Parts: sequence; C-alpha cells; structure tokens
Amino acid sequence: MGTIGCVQLCEICSAQWADIHLARQMRADIFERNKRMNNGMKIRVRGGLPLPPVGSPVNGTTEVATTERVALLGADYPGMRARILVDQGDIVEAGAPLFEDRGKPGLRGTAPVSGKVLQINMGAKRRLSSIVLAANNEAPLRFDVSRANSNDGVRALMQETGLWTSFRTRPFDRVPSIEGKAAAIFVTATDTYPNAPNPRHVLAGQENIFTRGLAALKHLTQGKLYLCQNAGAALAEADPQIVIVNVSGHHPAGLVGTHINRLHPPTRQGPVWHIGYQDVLALGKVLTEGHLISVRTITLTGEGLRQPRQLQVPMGADLHALARREMTPGQKRILSGPVIVGRECQFLTRYHLQATVLNAKAVAPRHWFFAALRAAAVPEAFVPTEALERALGPKLHVVPLLRALSIGDAETAARLGCLQLAEEDLALATYVTGGEIDFGMRLRSVLDVLEAS
Amino acid sequence: MNVGIWHRNMVAWLLVAALLPAAAAVLVEQGGIAAARFGVALATLLFWQGVFMIVRAQPFSPIALVTAFAVSLLASGTTELWQIVLAASFGAVIGEQIFGGWGRNFIPAGVVAPAFLYFAFPEVSHAGTGALVTLALAPGALILLVTGILSWRVLVGALIGLVLLTMVFGHAPAAPFMQGSLIFGLIFLVGDPVCAASTRGGGWLYGALAGGLIALLGWADVGIGAPQAVVFAALLAAIFAPLIDAGIIAMTTKQWSPHNA
Repeated sequence: MGTIGCVQLCEICSAQWADIHLARQMRADIFERNKRMNNGMKIRVRGGLPLPPVGSPVNGTTEVATTERVALLGADYPGMRARILVDQGDIVEAGAPLFEDRGKPGLRGTAPVSGKVLQINMGAKRRLSSIVLAANNEAPLRFDVSRANSNDGVRALMQETGLWTSFRTRPFDRVPSIEGKAAAIFVTATDTYPNAPNPRHVLAGQENIFTRGLAALKHLTQGKLYLCQNAGAALAEADPQIVIVNVSGHHPAGLVGTHINRLHPPTRQGPVWHIGYQDVLALGKVLTEGHLISVRTITLTGEGLRQPRQLQVPMGADLHALARREMTPGQKRILSGPVIVGRECQFLTRYHLQATVLNAKAVAPRHWFFAALRAAAVPEAFVPTEALERALGPKLHVVPLLRALSIGDAETAARLGCLQLAEEDLALATYVTGGEIDFGMRLRSVLDVLEAS
Repeated sequence: MNVGIWHRNMVAWLLVAALLPAAAAVLVEQGGIAAARFGVALATLLFWQGVFMIVRAQPFSPIALVTAFAVSLLASGTTELWQIVLAASFGAVIGEQIFGGWGRNFIPAGVVAPAFLYFAFPEVSHAGTGALVTLALAPGALILLVTGILSWRVLVGALIGLVLLTMVFGHAPAAPFMQGSLIFGLIFLVGDPVCAASTRGGGWLYGALAGGLIALLGWADVGIGAPQAVVFAALLAAIFAPLIDAGIIAMTTKQWSPHNA
C-alpha cells in the first residue's frame, strides 16, 4: 500500500470533482473541434482512474540507443509451437526469419537487427523461450515492396518481414491467421499508461511514413480502419475507410479494448484486429526503405532510476544493459511494460512501449505460523467499490463479470462480454483490488475454455 | 508495492472507521450494556472466523467488528447475552462463513443475526436508538460515499423509496431520520457493498426496494422506531438483489447479443 495507496485514495476523491470541472471545459473544446473536423468521432471515458506514476515522467528528447544483445521471446506468443529456422552461431541479416509457428504460418519472428545467433533457449514442453542475437552492423535483408498494393501483397510482405505479429485479434487477443478476415482494424495511437511515450511526439516528423503504413493496412479489410488518437489534430487524413477517433479520459481510455467496445464490438464470426502505432510506422518504413527497421521508441522510467529517459531502441533490446547506467544503488526489478501490466524480463517484449525499473522491496520475515496460515488461505474475495466500477474501460457489468471470472464461469463471462477483453483490460481491476485475485489470468483461462469450445 | 488499496480488509477497516462516531454515540446513549453486547458478539464472531480459518482456510476479516456492532445495536432491549451468542453464531456461520467468508456471501451477517434473534425469541422487546446516533452516523456515511464503498445509487434509491412511502402513509418525510438504528441499517446493512445489487441500474431498484420496505414494515407493521423494520427490509432486499441483477443483465445483454454471439 504505502505511498501509492494514499496518493490513489486522495486522487480518486479529487478526480470526481476534477471530472465535473473538466467536463465543462471539454464540452466546449469538443464542440469546437467537431466543427473543425466533421468526419471525426470521439470517445470520452467517464470512469477510469488517475494512476499514480512510479518515478518521474520523461522530459527531453529521444536518444538513440543500441544494445549488444537483442532477443525474441517465445512468451510473447502464447500457445505457439515454434519451428526454429536458424542454428546457434548462424549469421543473420535484419529481417531474416528466425522461427515460425507450426500452426499459424503468418506468425513468424524475424531478426530485428543483423547479427549472430548467440543462444536458442527452449523452455518447458519444448516451447521456445528466447532467441538471443549479438548485433553487428551488417546490411539488412531487402524485401520486394512493389506488390504491396493488394490484399494478398500486403499480407505476404507482412508475413515475410515478421510484421504480421503486430496484429492481434479480439476475441482472444492472439495473432490472427494469415488468411484471416478482419471486420475492422483498430490502430492505437494513444497511450494512457503513466509515463508512456506520447504517440504524437514519436510520430512527429514521420507523418508521411505513418500514413504510408496506414494506407497499406486499408488493403487488409473491407471494414473500417479506426485510428484512435489523443484528442487533437488528426494524425492522418480521414476518408471513407479511415475513421479518426479522439480519445480522452483516465487510464483505461487508451486501451484498445475500450475503443473496440465502444466502436465495434467483435464477434467470433467477425473478429476485429488491432495494431499499435509504432508497428504501423514500422510497416511504413519497410514500404519506404525496402528493408526492416525494427525499432521501438520506449520510455525507461521508474523509481529505481536517477534519470528517466525516452529511447529509440531495437525491438527486443536488452533492458538490463539500457538501465544499468542510470540505476540508483540497491536491488531492482526491471519490468518490460508499465507497472500494472509489466512482465519481469531482461529483454523488451513485443507489445510493450515502456520499461520500468522498480526498487526490489525486501520482504519482512513473518512468524512461521502466520506465514503458513497466509499461504494456505483461499484468496480473499473482492469487495465491489466505486473504484472497481471505474476500473474497466469497456461498458460492461463490471462486478458480475469479475465475479464470473473469479469462479471461472465461462458461459456467464461470455454473456457478460468477456470475449471483447484481454488481460490488459483487467489489469486495473486487479490493481485496484490489491492484487489478491489476478483477473487477467482468470480471464485467460476462461478465454482458453471458450476458444476450445 | 504495486497494488491499489481496495483490498477486502481495507474496505472492512474503512467500514469500521465510519462506524466509530456512531459507536461512541451508542455508548453514550445506552451505557455499558451496549459494550457488553458488543464484546460478546465480537468474541463469538472471532471464534467462528477462527474455526473456519482452520477448517476451510478462510482468512480473518475485520468485518466482524461491523457485524458485532450491528448485533449489539439491533438486539438492544432485554436481550440476554447467551441469546446474543446464539444469534451471532447463526449470523456468522449461516450468513457468511459457509459461503466462503465476507465477499462471497449474499446476505450480510449483520442482518442474519438480528433476524434470527427476532424469530427465535419473539418475547424479547427491542428498542431503537435516538437521533444522536443518526447525527453520529453522518460523518461515517460521508466517508463511505466519498471512498465509493457505499454506492450512491443504492443510497439515493433507498432514500427516495423511504421518503416516498413515508409520505404515502401520511407521515412527515423527516420522521424516519430520527431513528438511529434505522439509519444505521440503511447505511451499513442495505448499503453493504457485497450484498447490494451489483449492476448500476440494479443499484437504484435495490435501493428503492429496501427503502420502500423499511417504510412499509415500519409504518404498517412493527413501528418505525423498532429495529425489526430495517432488518427485515434489508433481508428481503438482499434476497431480491441477485434477481434484480439477473433482470438487468438479461435486459442489457439482449441488446448486446448480436455482438457477442
């Protein structure tokens, strides 16, 4: 609990007042903006929670950083059975395929940098754990981008470059199959996690490349292409297919689950796909340069750092190496991702745009009897509060849904809309209720049941 | 620690904190006998929590303090201490622990225990408390509203139901607010976050039902000053809460069904 808890308590109280004030101000703003762009849509999340940031926010420019080692992680693609396409010691070019899913040919991991394959680590049940590369500065693999003017052409190019894994589907939040059809595609160019990079800053100066990537995505679906951005000037030109959506509000406002719920709830017959803005940028770069430039603009923040930084790093960069120079003394936990959904991991994971360095807290020793009692106890039930009601971005019946998930009732959870959700949508609910029940994990086990049925 | 604060025990402690002024007021009004009832009820509740900790690995919860206070306040009058022990045991076990402890029950233990007492020992006369307790409950209610533990939908719904039906029965709308035990029941038993209806629309209906029942039972049956009115109203409303939720969910998910097929 500690400081975070207290800050949050105060902030929730004040947020209700701030909301009223903001609402007045924003109503005027929205009216003005709608007059300017008649094609725009807007989502305003009335709930949401002002999450306390851990560490100070980044101010300053983006530095370009490289790390000696980069890695592709098997854990980014749950359920994948990888066919490894390289051997330890091989020299590969950036963009060369390293592994492919046996079940889903589109799911292919390509080398983000040119270099030597240092390690191929297999985990439990012979699943891929990680492939670690040592970077060198050799030339990248070139791709034929001339065919990227049709549905099949774009699909083939994205599969070859490994960018197909940028897409994930709802329901189930998995990489879609290469022949899959999307009822709509959501491009998420907003990020409401504390200390996350600002998409507008990242895209500044690269608007043409981003637009090029966006144009290529239009080939992939007959449906709409929703570009969800922070309220402000449009990041791309709206047309009959591209819908600009201005998003405002506290944290779950920036999650794609929130947008999908409001704009185009998916069905099993009509799944929607979503993709992050940096992946669209990467696609645009492939189309302009003809080779893969696999970089991510991330923020490296947290209480364990002297100076938070915004960095442009290769995909799968070594976070330990990046953080080492800036860390304060003492034991640390390095998470790939924001505090509430981050995963403790040495390398930057596929879908996260920030890394967080936390001070590792020493666990106070307990008397053996109380420790045993605690370890044996069933998880404490959650108690519905207003904070929990606000923790979910999608407009669903929060408490009944969480109750269904917490007992693993797949049928009820599906009726209450869990097919629209992914783990990240429930992270705030887990956070708010003190982490006693991991709703994200419960959701995944329910989704696995539903997927198999 | 990277977790929020709305842990089950945190909510329970906040409920306890909200209760403190009212507890002081009751002590002033009723004296030592209230403290004795509270102590006996608390000891009984903790005993059963201990039993279920060992048998079913259900963790302890400070909600026992709230339940014990409810029992001591609503079972005032000529209740014997052994009757309190029986009632608190019934409330703790049947109302709460066999469902898995606070958070998984569907009727508050603080309702089940007094209800048991009223049925099992009908000859005992019970008295409510006065306006001082109402006054002392106000800051607690404010804490619970601001922290979002007490749903404002439930509270407003209940107040509307209570005042409307009070006026229908031809009494002054302010009359129920002179009764301390009634207002306590309204905030802590009807407004129990676990057992209240959990959908947004359901909160309104549930609140209105509870408020209406309090007025109905109070004015037409046992008398608005008797604690029975609010206990039985809370009991009935809690029993109907899952039905209300199911109705709201059936209505709204019907609209969603083309999306979620």
